[in-house]
Amino acid sequence: MLIFQEVYGSMNQGGNTQAVAPSPLDPNSIENRYGVDGSQVQISSYQYSTGSEGASWTAHRVENQAVENGNYTNSNYYHPQPTGPATGNVQEVTNTVSYTSSSASGTANVAQDYSGYTPYQTTSEPQNYSNTGYSNYYSGYQQQQQQPSQSYTQPVGAYQNTGAPYQPLSSFQNPGSYAGTPSYSGTYYNPADYQTTGGYQSTNYNNQTSGGYPSTNYSNHTPTSNQGNYTDYTSNPYQNYTPDAANTSSSTIATTTPVQYQQNYQQWPGYYSQAEVPCAPGTEKLPAASTFSQSFPVPAVTNELPASNGQPAPSYASNSQPAPYASNGQPAPSYAQPWRQETNSSQPPSQQPGAAVRASNDSYWMHQTPNQQAHYPVPPQTHYQSPLETKPLYETPFQGHQRATYPQELNSQSSIHQASLGYQQPTQTTLPVHTQRVSKVQIPTNPRIASNLPSGYTKMEKDSSAFGATKTPAYVSVSIPKPNGHPTATPEPETMPKSLRGFVERAFARCKDDKEKASCQAALREIITKARDDRTLHTRDWDTEPLSTVLNVVVTNTESSSTLNSSLQNKSPTRRPKSRWEPLQEAKPFVKSAPTFSSGVKFGGWNHQNENNKKISENFQKVDPTTNSKPTYSWQNSAKKSFQRPVKRQRFSGGVATAIDDEASSDSDKELTPYYSSAMALASSTEEKKRRDSRSKRFEKVQGHSRGNDIPKPKNANVGNLHPRRATALRLSRDLDESGSRAVEDIDWDALTVKGTCQEIEKRYLRLTSAPDPSTVRPEDVLEKALLMVQDSQKNYLYKCDQLKSIRQDLTVQRIHNHLTAKVYESHARLALEAGDLPEYNQCLSQLKILYSEGIEGCSLEFAAYNLLYITLHSNNNRELLSSMSRLSEEAKKDEAVRHALAVRAAVTSGNYVMFFRLYKTAPNMNSCLMDLYVEKMRYKAVNFMARSCRPTIPVSHIVQVLGFGASTEGNGEKESDGMEECSEWLKAHGASLISDSNGDLLLDTKASTNSLFMPEPEDAVSHGDRYLDVNDFFTRTV
Amino acid sequence: MAYVSMGEAHRRITEYLNRFCDSVSYQDSSTLCRLLSFSSNSAPLLSLADALNVFQDASSLIRQSDKFSEYGEILAHLFRSLQSYRIGNLVEAYLAYEKFANAFVQEFRNWESAWALEALYVVCYEIRILAEKADKELTSNGKSPEKLKAAGSLLMKVFGVLAGKGPKRVGALYVTCQLFKTYFKLGTVNLCRSVIRSIETARIFDFEEFPRRDKVTYMYYTGRLEVFNENFPAADTKLSYALQHCIPRRDRNIRMILKYLIPVKLSLGIIPKDELLQNYNLHEYIKIVQALKKGDLRLLRHALQEHEDRFLRSGVYLVLEKLELQVYQRLMKKIYIIQKLSDPARAHQLKLEVIAKALRWLEMDMDLDEVECIMTILIYKNLVKGYLAHKNKVVVLSKQDPFPKLNGKPVGS
Repeated sequence: MLIFQEVYGSMNQGGNTQAVAPSPLDPNSIENRYGVDGSQVQISSYQYSTGSEGASWTAHRVENQAVENGNYTNSNYYHPQPTGPATGNVQEVTNTVSYTSSSASGTANVAQDYSGYTPYQTTSEPQNYSNTGYSNYYSGYQQQQQQPSQSYTQPVGAYQNTGAPYQPLSSFQNPGSYAGTPSYSGTYYNPADYQTTGGYQSTNYNNQTSGGYPSTNYSNHTPTSNQGNYTDYTSNPYQNYTPDAANTSSSTIATTTPVQYQQNYQQWPGYYSQAEVPCAPGTEKLPAASTFSQSFPVPAVTNELPASNGQPAPSYASNSQPAPYASNGQPAPSYAQPWRQETNSSQPPSQQPGAAVRASNDSYWMHQTPNQQAHYPVPPQTHYQSPLETKPLYETPFQGHQRATYPQELNSQSSIHQASLGYQQPTQTTLPVHTQRVSKVQIPTNPRIASNLPSGYTKMEKDSSAFGATKTPAYVSVSIPKPNGHPTATPEPETMPKSLRGFVERAFARCKDDKEKASCQAALREIITKARDDRTLHTRDWDTEPLSTVLNVVVTNTESSSTLNSSLQNKSPTRRPKSRWEPLQEAKPFVKSAPTFSSGVKFGGWNHQNENNKKISENFQKVDPTTNSKPTYSWQNSAKKSFQRPVKRQRFSGGVATAIDDEASSDSDKELTPYYSSAMALASSTEEKKRRDSRSKRFEKVQGHSRGNDIPKPKNANVGNLHPRRATALRLSRDLDESGSRAVEDIDWDALTVKGTCQEIEKRYLRLTSAPDPSTVRPEDVLEKALLMVQDSQKNYLYKCDQLKSIRQDLTVQRIHNHLTAKVYESHARLALEAGDLPEYNQCLSQLKILYSEGIEGCSLEFAAYNLLYITLHSNNNRELLSSMSRLSEEAKKDEAVRHALAVRAAVTSGNYVMFFRLYKTAPNMNSCLMDLYVEKMRYKAVNFMARSCRPTIPVSHIVQVLGFGASTEGNGEKESDGMEECSEWLKAHGASLISDSNGDLLLDTKASTNSLFMPEPEDAVSHGDRYLDVNDFFTRTV
Repeated sequence: MAYVSMGEAHRRITEYLNRFCDSVSYQDSSTLCRLLSFSSNSAPLLSLADALNVFQDASSLIRQSDKFSEYGEILAHLFRSLQSYRIGNLVEAYLAYEKFANAFVQEFRNWESAWALEALYVVCYEIRILAEKADKELTSNGKSPEKLKAAGSLLMKVFGVLAGKGPKRVGALYVTCQLFKTYFKLGTVNLCRSVIRSIETARIFDFEEFPRRDKVTYMYYTGRLEVFNENFPAADTKLSYALQHCIPRRDRNIRMILKYLIPVKLSLGIIPKDELLQNYNLHEYIKIVQALKKGDLRLLRHALQEHEDRFLRSGVYLVLEKLELQVYQRLMKKIYIIQKLSDPARAHQLKLEVIAKALRWLEMDMDLDEVECIMTILIYKNLVKGYLAHKNKVVVLSKQDPFPKLNGKPVGS
């Protein structure tokens, strides 16, 4: 579900850009979502920012405020879409609510809304912030789900989801902005800032004191800075910071040490950046399609990312939010706990504010980073990673720090993981089908994207430092504070290879509770130290290193063990670079992880911001020109490539996603039930219940009026627009199912030959635009029935033609070349002849020639006759005629049809109309159909001959007889007269002058007619050139 | 294959290389031609081929001297082609020769004067012949023949090199003729059109400037094309030109031309003498000419049926079939003459009954409708002057020249 929604969101954006905008409402909703996301991120950032140095930043605040104002207006902008809410907070709530409702897809949207929501509430009540946000979110969720009680759990899931999808987007954008393409980033980001600010600023505006607000500002600013040069960038962050600082001072009641705050702060910047990205889509609306397209790629990326990441991502999202709260102070802890409780009741301890929070953040961060690395195949990831890696460039120590953090992170991760696991479990259970589809869908995109980013995916893993240096130097530094903060970090950062990181992460991913974590950590430490002692730390292939060593120590959790296993399995394969395609197989499990992925992306964005923050504007500027600038550029290039090319892809994938999403939404009820159950289980804890109650109450307050109205409309709109896309998307996804598991490199086209499974006899022809879907392809026996059905059908030619074309398509797709193929083409050719559809006939004939030359008998002689007739009567190409005549075998010349055709040819070349019409009457097979098309010409020629040669008159009766008028009713006198009438009509139409003799017989006055004959324009000519086609047929077809 | 010692092989190869380089540096076209002409199967070339098969590392020999290595690419491909040719691997030989030809043409482009035109002719000829042979080999192996097509495109490239201003342009017609041969063989006659256009419209070509040999060949092929198009007067001029200018001793060439010229002339109402047909062994036309003379429709149809295959392949079948109307004309004339003998006053009235009877004698069973139809056609096509009185079933002939001769004009004009 989550993934779907994410995809969906991306799709919506894509739709907008593409000008296919599903519905006017959709874009808005999307924007809302994004805005919300941004707000969420900001919130988190806010907390962190508070942690960071407050004093220095205050100066910047003013700017922030100004910006905020601007943003505020933006937020207003938002509001219009939903119903016009009165107050900012309320409005936003409504917006979010409406948004969710509009999204219809469900949880994901809700989650996004939620995030958006929170900021608003925060504005009103900073402390309550988290709670309110929750409640808001919750309410929104409920609205969609319409199950308030259960909705709580659901929201969590949704929340995670939202976080993940959006963040990926943001991450993408960040890289772009970082890349330093001024124009690019400018266009892109400005919009982003705009909207983001809209959502966020309102919050900021209201409560600057609240940490969440400043953070939002910060995020907003960052985008702007991105747009501009680095200098701008730095300045912006500073401004942002000031608010943060204020927040920290004022609001921070947290026990956490300043250091932690800083760390948090840094991390948060990442969030912010990510958040900004999400905002960007919304903004894009304002700017132009171009921005949209750019943003588009991002969504696609996100999609992919989620797939590659595993479950961890969801957990991340959840974690991240809680973490920020914790950092904020008192409110945070409470907040975080509820969250975690929702996710995992067991986790709360780990999440406790202070160091724990930080750890969790770090862990998240780390977590995501590893995930990203693991997911190399996905181009977006590479981008993402590059920023991370850039850190090394700036500060070599940083890498070490990061690595060092890992262990700590691991701890936190373990908790996080657990949370995520708990989270995910519901998701997984509910969404498996969808996720699979998504994964499939994603698979195609991955290769393309991967192709875009040729630069060492593999490199990344092994030489992270080198890679980072080469790529994006600009961003760095999140890690610095971390090392300080985490004394526990055992492994030496510098020496820790990335693969090892992944390994450790994997190990921790298995840990479900603190105990496990602890043991796991110990085991890992042992392993690592041992490896170091052996000097195998760098040489060992950590990617393939079995976890068994660690796992032995770790106690397996009964709870959610299955999910864990699945996640682990998934993870381990993903981390390996292998082939880009391989993830496909694993993608299914990963699909669920999509949120995770996005979280990873967020981190990437995070890093960037962190860099900005940490580096400090002054240093930053200096550094940038030298080290950063070059790397940045290179990065830009890569980013651009990966970024822009993916756009199309993403659209595609987005489309698919939407379609899927659509389906998902339609099925949302079903899917949600599992969710609910899991949620219920979580809710069972009394503590949680209390919190929920309080939250829901608040929510009700806020929700109030806004809820009811907005929900239904957007939903409908979305669904309606998406509907058409769905079919194709589904088909695609199904296709991918079949072939998805193969690596691109070793695709065996023979093996790819589809074996149809469709049992429906009737199928409409649709020109394939993608790989055929076996489930819509009919196997041979069904095709045989279909052919019979068509032959016996009483329907019109268009219907039959359509059916036959689809049969032909299925045959082609399955590479069936046998008598059935010949039969199909023969019947189609005959039908086409019957209907006078020469183009179709020619298609069939050219295929038949191939089939016959392959030795498939069929009715080759019959069609040889047709061929002769066709050339004689229609192509008028002597050379062709000669060659096809010379190819006739002796046996063929004895065939009745061929003889007839040859006789017709002789009659035509000599102009012997008498012979021609005699042959016309005795034509075997469908020969007369081909002759039909020449009758008019022949008659005209004949009458010309007669008019010129005969004097003084010719009785029309003779003409009737000779030129085959009334041929169809030959035999009795009554019909003779029909022929007379027809003939005289025809003669008159062709300018002949008719007279009556004394007996009343009609005569052709030859002398008078000689010069008056003409070939009339066919009366029944139609614009489409085929009078046999009935326009109504087209309409009936579409019904 | 006679045994060739290593030293002997070395000597032969070096000698060939020397001769090649000398001929190029002295611009000795005839020697060069001899060195390139595989199909001549000349003894020196064959012995060189043997030597090459013994002495495998000819390319090192080429590289040894600056003199040779200047044409290293040309020679290396040539040697490889010769080797394969000698072994009988014609596809390989063709491929190598194609590469050689490309290199040679490249080199030829750099030579300012047209001294090597003859050599280029040889290359063009050889490439076509080799391609045909290679295709034969391919078909016998069950593969699709495609080398001639490739040769065609190579020749087109050569044509592009020659078809410009300058002394080399006189070579264009030779290449054109090779192209014609290729296209006719491939059955892609329509491809000739572009070449013809550039020859006939480009001012840089003064047709009479070209060598006679090429002019005759060119006229022959374009004449054949006109036959396909049933443009008889044009075909007549072109083929007649070819006939007039071809070397009288070359019976085969004359026969080839006559094979098309005779049907064309017949279509224009000009009947060849029997000696001509006899002399040039054109027996397939004898009966047709007889049928025309006698107005014997049956004979004509028999003759057509008898040689149907040949006529179809040469592409004159349809032309000959159209002679039917002239045969009818002749038949009418005969009837008219006979009637005139018995009853001059009413001779100009041909009863359809009578005509049908005459046709029955020829074992052509036709009813009156059909006879009437044929008469209307004859009248319409101006082979018979007069009119048909439908009511009376009589053809009334003009009293003046009821059966006009074609006199070099095609039927129906």
